[in-house]
Amino acid sequence: MTAIRPNLIKLLAPLAAFAGALILLVTLGGSKDAGLPERAGGVELSIPRGASTDQRIEVLQRAVRDGIGGAQGYALLGGAYLQKNRENGDPSFYSRAGRSFDAALRRDARNLDALLGAGTLAGARHDFREQLRLGLEAHGIVPELAGPNSVIADAQIELGRYGAAARTIQRMLDLKPNLASYARASYYRELHGDLAGAVRAMQLAVSAGSDVPENVAYVQNVIGDLELQRGRPAAARKAYMAALAGLPGYGRAQAGLARVENAGGALDRAARRLRNVSQRLPLTTILILLAETDQARGAKGAAERDLEVVRAQQRLLRAAGARPDAELIVFEANYGEPGEAVQLGRRLWAEAPSVRSADALGWALTRAGRPGEGLAWARRALRLGSRDPLFHLHAGLAAKAAGRPGVAVRELRTAVAGRAALSPLRAREARAALEALR
Amino acid sequence: MKKLSILAALLAVAVAAAMSFGSSHSEAPGTANDRKADNTDTYAYTAPDAPNALTVVANWIPLQAPAGGPNFYQWDPKARYNIKLDNTGDGYEDVVYEFDFKNRYRNPNSFLYALPTVTRAGDPNILQDQTYSATKLTYNRNRRLVSRKRVVTDAPVVPQNVGPKTIPNFSQVEASGIQTPKGGGKLYVGPSRDAFFVDLGAVFDGINIDKPGRPNIGLGNQGGGKDDVAGFNTSSIVLQVPESEVTKDGKLVSGPKAPNAVVGVWSTTDRQRVSVLGGSSRKGGRSQGDRWVQVSRLGNCLINEVIIPVGLKDKFNATSPADDAKNFGRFALNPEPARILNALFGLGIKETNRTDIVQALLTGLPGLTQIGNHPAAADTLKLNLGVPPSANPNRFGLLAGDQAGFPNGRRLGDDCVDIELRAIAGALLPADQGGKQIPLGDGVDRPAKPTRSTFPYVPQADDGFNQQFGRVEPQHAPVPQPPPAQLP
Repeated sequence: MTAIRPNLIKLLAPLAAFAGALILLVTLGGSKDAGLPERAGGVELSIPRGASTDQRIEVLQRAVRDGIGGAQGYALLGGAYLQKNRENGDPSFYSRAGRSFDAALRRDARNLDALLGAGTLAGARHDFREQLRLGLEAHGIVPELAGPNSVIADAQIELGRYGAAARTIQRMLDLKPNLASYARASYYRELHGDLAGAVRAMQLAVSAGSDVPENVAYVQNVIGDLELQRGRPAAARKAYMAALAGLPGYGRAQAGLARVENAGGALDRAARRLRNVSQRLPLTTILILLAETDQARGAKGAAERDLEVVRAQQRLLRAAGARPDAELIVFEANYGEPGEAVQLGRRLWAEAPSVRSADALGWALTRAGRPGEGLAWARRALRLGSRDPLFHLHAGLAAKAAGRPGVAVRELRTAVAGRAALSPLRAREARAALEALR
Repeated sequence: MKKLSILAALLAVAVAAAMSFGSSHSEAPGTANDRKADNTDTYAYTAPDAPNALTVVANWIPLQAPAGGPNFYQWDPKARYNIKLDNTGDGYEDVVYEFDFKNRYRNPNSFLYALPTVTRAGDPNILQDQTYSATKLTYNRNRRLVSRKRVVTDAPVVPQNVGPKTIPNFSQVEASGIQTPKGGGKLYVGPSRDAFFVDLGAVFDGINIDKPGRPNIGLGNQGGGKDDVAGFNTSSIVLQVPESEVTKDGKLVSGPKAPNAVVGVWSTTDRQRVSVLGGSSRKGGRSQGDRWVQVSRLGNCLINEVIIPVGLKDKFNATSPADDAKNFGRFALNPEPARILNALFGLGIKETNRTDIVQALLTGLPGLTQIGNHPAAADTLKLNLGVPPSANPNRFGLLAGDQAGFPNGRRLGDDCVDIELRAIAGALLPADQGGKQIPLGDGVDRPAKPTRSTFPYVPQADDGFNQQFGRVEPQHAPVPQPPPAQLP
């Protein structure tokens, strides 16, 4: 247990660094070959295999401080910061990642890991056009490498370019089926309403696996979410438990278990669990689910406090000039000023014309008393065939308000069928609206 | 008051989280190391105790720490693992042994790997048990499948050596897992201690001539290197089959000059082909083979690492050896490492038109490892089955005149790193054509744990209680590079 293990960089594949170390020496010798990016530090870094993200960060920080990592050292450090953020949600790691990628690109403007890391970061900050640009730039440098396609595909999805995204994901799948490409196939199918196919692709992703436990837990967790949409809470529970077995304490899977509890009517237990998770991982999604669970179980005071936290998040985001976010627009429409939500929704649509943006804008319009327009946007949100029960709930309520009971019944039925994936408040709302139309 | 302060604390964190997560879109990981599909090494040789058989060791899933529990690395039941053989020299497989795995998880509610006591492969106390089936496929000259035969069905995988409490006698468990495939021979599927050895640091730090306290380590090849693979397990398939199962005429090999003597060996991993639009929506009659995509392959050691440029590594892993000349021939003919060694140290190594490297690794050495008269330049590990095993194997193999060693096949103890470094420096070239006998080396001479003289040959997998990483080779007198090997 206490033995010193050989480092990860050197051993990503035995001798992956063989060439890399050579090239590093060439770099230090001042005759760098631009065709071959160097690997970090090659011979000097020592990252234990199976190291935690913190350990990786520590070693890479030391490497760049000692000036031995070069561009690749900064690029890998940036990547480790992004992974850290995936694990704890702390945004300061975004800024650090950004500075690391900048430092890498100053040293080597064609460094692949830095370009792709910067692209991923742009996407996380909802700057999907920049994400696409960086992905394409990397793709231009290494057209036959699978890696850049994930950055490109993610941006195309958010920009609503679904045909192009399908081609990118297929290219990735044909070249290198692995967790990253299977997961993207799964999301594409989910958006198109093929939930069974989405689960199948995600099972391939889980089986393929990754060295990073969080990555496997993430895809395992998505299976749970998909199973809830399919109305199979038992299967969902199994997936969340598997995610937790691989990554004990994983917040997203804890939230998933709370959804399963909600679906089984155990609202108090779900609320307790969500409150617990939200203190460690206060994602907007989790906080809103907590608030709506509290509302559904009649805990008005608690719900109000939960909502206040989300409002605070929202105020801060807006003050910081952050780009609008679909989830927060829906929140604003439900709990704030629907008119304001409409404005934000239009901005969002201009920047990221995806089905998710269409849903947010549509719901804002419906809540602002313009259900006819809301319904038109809801239809755009559903144009790919999504079975997301929230989209269908929004469409159904818009149709009902717009005096289209036939459409409303159809949409609300779909929402009710997928109610396990809704908060208990929204599930109740869907059922009540459907009842009222009978 | 208390409530307020809790709220304030929560707000502080929550605000931070909101800044970081625009949660309304997919955040699937953009990259993932696919270690379960990663071919780490391929060996092929004639074992002294099985002179009329081909022995292949194919390893997957590198660098498994023996104390890797509770999540030990498993074979992926959704992938397919292959050992491929070319006996006609066109770079296409003529014989394939295909391995498919199944999970047999005995207690779905437990995430424990095994309970005490495990006494055999397939023991009911192995909770995360796996089984495998092996299928032999044969192709004709037109690459048509002519036979498909199950040679082992649902056999238990030898479990991880989790420790003496759970597995008091691992040798017994190991032996209990050895199968006899239809057609004869032996088959082992399970963990081993990785036989590969290298000092990644010393190769190049050392080549840089001096390291504090270790002068001339790279050029002198006098030990002192630290084996970076020491202490790690890998997942092995050891296949031993009668020569007649793999030769082009289905007969035993009568001698090194026999026309059926040489086979090219490589291992690959396939993953399932998926259409983004959904499972079976693709039109057109797709054959069985099209349901899979090759994601990894390995013939000669280190080709992907030192010859193939970064931007083409995925392509290398996805393509067939038959297309290597077209796709990658120029990189073998003008090997990057030669240029780099020259740039660094001014060794005057021949950088271009290295037909000697192409021959040693891709087309085969005439009279020894060349298959037929018009071989494709293909990255397969070519073994002349007619060359008898050496009584005193030399780690430098052919470079030291030991014709039963790399690049005639590859034995577990062959020092692939030193051999390739020296070959790139010109050890296989006559002096008047730029040949140079430079004693390069990484200072590590042998696998950290001894290989075994009987099947399954590979060093036994370590248990989680006796891990030792980074064996250091004792210093010894420099080993010079002998004059150019005399080829038969």
